[in-house]
Amino acid sequence: MEIAARIAEGFIGMFQKGGTTFVGLVTGIIPLLIVLMTAVNALVRLIGPERIDKVAMISSRNVLLRYLVLPFLAVFFLTNPMAYTMGRFLPEKQKPAFYDAAVSFVHPILGLFPHANPGEIFVWAGIAAGITKLGLGLGDLAIRYFLVGLLVIFIRGLVTERITAIMWARRSVPEGQSQGEESTSAAEAAPAVEAGGAAFASGEEA
Amino acid sequence: MQVVARGLEAIGRAVGNVVGILYQAGRDTIDQVIRNILPFMAFISMVIGIILYTGIGNIIAHTLSPLASNIFGLLLMSVICAIPILSPLLGPGAVIAQVVGTLLGVEIGLGHIPPQYALPALFAINPQVGCDFIPVGLALGEAEPETTEIGVPAVLMSRLITGPLAVVIAYLASFGMYAGH
Repeated sequence: MEIAARIAEGFIGMFQKGGTTFVGLVTGIIPLLIVLMTAVNALVRLIGPERIDKVAMISSRNVLLRYLVLPFLAVFFLTNPMAYTMGRFLPEKQKPAFYDAAVSFVHPILGLFPHANPGEIFVWAGIAAGITKLGLGLGDLAIRYFLVGLLVIFIRGLVTERITAIMWARRSVPEGQSQGEESTSAAEAAPAVEAGGAAFASGEEA
Repeated sequence: MQVVARGLEAIGRAVGNVVGILYQAGRDTIDQVIRNILPFMAFISMVIGIILYTGIGNIIAHTLSPLASNIFGLLLMSVICAIPILSPLLGPGAVIAQVVGTLLGVEIGLGHIPPQYALPALFAINPQVGCDFIPVGLALGEAEPETTEIGVPAVLMSRLITGPLAVVIAYLASFGMYAGH
């Protein structure tokens, strides 16, 4: 009987620990998050998507705007996943690079503007919780994450644009030579399509 | 008289409009919190509870912490996450990044990983971001099927370069952060 009681206590204790963690997360993160998200959501609605479209059209012309300013604006105003619709203002050859830049910014923005991707906040909040536990401020980490994120998406845009251009050029080589190239790219694309479909479906559910 | 009435009507309408927008912003926020944030917090809390209570935490502390407390371990982590076949599998919902991030957060909180490694770690756990979503993301940008065919492998290959590079940049950028600690 004694042993059974011990086991029961241990079993419940495990979830009590989880419950304490849950209360900590809810009281520590959610109040600020709600107020901040409400403010930014209101701002986004007041500005309106039409104006963002106009800025996006201008931004597509210059490399610095295209992989730095446009992804930031897209993620800030349209949030994940609608941010990627901004790619429609770009020529075909730059769309993969823009997607790469935009999608890479949906987490570095979280430290300062969590409204952009609240469903995935724990990429940031998980590590940030450790810093908070040490009694250190989050501002330093949040701003550095944001700035390094900007630099990284810019580099990603450039690199992916370059790789896309190389692959595009190889594809337009006569049939016989491009055969092997095509089969490998198709093989790589297949699992990605499946995984993407699954993620999209689950996103709709949530 | 009519001018005054019309003026009042215009003001009333403008104020109503703004209040409506603010109210809708609040509604959207609460919706997000309930539908996306709270469920994930519940899931994360359960995982942390089990890990802390059962001693799995000690195993993680002995394997993950040494890996995450030096630049080479973080680089290795980012290279693995960026492998073109693995990255689309690790991507969906950023669940892997969120769970690993939380585990590292626990270890940072316990003092097993120095706090300045938080910045490179944020990039090391996440080179696969969006790799599962490339065809959908490109379709949202109204890309042609041809573009998707080239774009998917192009982004996956690019990550193999930019994933580890991001860790190096973040590592360099982390100097001086929480230095006194």
